[in-house]
Amino acid sequence: MDTLLGWLHTAAWATYVGGALTMEWVLRYAQREMPGSQVGVVCKNAGMRYRWLALGCLAVIGISGGWMVLRLDDAELLAREGAPALSLGDAYGRTLLLLAVAWVLLVATVAFMAFVLHPAQRKRSKPEMTKEEVAAERERVGRAIARMDRALKFELVLSVVSVGLGASLHAGGLI
Amino acid sequence: MPDYTLDTWLLILYSFLHDISIAVYIGGAISMEFVLGPAQASIPPAQAQVMGQKTADRFLWFVWGSLGMVLLTGLLRLEQKRMLVGEWPFFQTPGGLSADYGQTLLAMILLWCVLAINGALITFYFRPRLQGKLGSGMSAAQVSAAQNAKIQAATWVQRITRTDIVIALLIALMGASLARGGLI
Repeated sequence: MDTLLGWLHTAAWATYVGGALTMEWVLRYAQREMPGSQVGVVCKNAGMRYRWLALGCLAVIGISGGWMVLRLDDAELLAREGAPALSLGDAYGRTLLLLAVAWVLLVATVAFMAFVLHPAQRKRSKPEMTKEEVAAERERVGRAIARMDRALKFELVLSVVSVGLGASLHAGGLI
Repeated sequence: MPDYTLDTWLLILYSFLHDISIAVYIGGAISMEFVLGPAQASIPPAQAQVMGQKTADRFLWFVWGSLGMVLLTGLLRLEQKRMLVGEWPFFQTPGGLSADYGQTLLAMILLWCVLAINGALITFYFRPRLQGKLGSGMSAAQVSAAQNAKIQAATWVQRITRTDIVIALLIALMGASLARGGLI
């Protein structure tokens, strides 16, 4: 059971973080030489799929991670290198708490992108709109794209830092 | 910050690089196959081909980088734990190869070799076939044959990529089992 939970946790983290890195460094790179209209189509399609994949992975990470913490017992912790403790007085406990906070922030960021920023990027133009209204709409979409860009960078950095925090647990924690 | 020795900090660094490399490989392959692939199908075929070429070219660098990093950091972690030796199978575990830990480790290394062979097949055999241009002086039969060859190469790349995802997930399962003594 512990092995299965560990595998689910690892596979979900890998899918989520690797996906985020691929979207940033592979898809963005390919988009540079694509016509603007097609960038929009690809972004909408890939963005939507990736958001659901990310939310699914984060759900698996949360459930499997929480379950693994519940299954931890003092005897198992004592047998580990450095005999870490599940308390805020120990680096292991503090790192686990920080990981939980990072997970909550990641879920909030991905949900915000999926349900607020992504829909906000859709242009709502009508034939009866005046030039000023069209310009204002363009500006609004531009701001939504800029916000999405910042959210993506924050998500990427936080997810990579979380992998570092998780890797440090083998040695007893980082902070 | 905990008062760790240099060896412990190095172990954390190697573990971090190892985990990130695995994430790039597994998450990248899954995203390429199940996110970027369908997104590519939503634009005109000519543009989709350019996009597919660009993303695959870039992703192959990540594949080789992560495969190299996984091997390097895996070996460095074994060295850090004083488990690397100078003769076959080049590592020792508390119970040797007969123990679950050693057998699982050996299976992981062998599966890594399969991933490297598959990566080489895609990079040096199938990708060049996909990139070949159709010449203007070609007959209709030659164009049709070249297009069939491209379709076949694309099918093989997809099959190999999906096989690689399954193998990489299996390696991750074995890796997760090492904390509890191994799987095999």
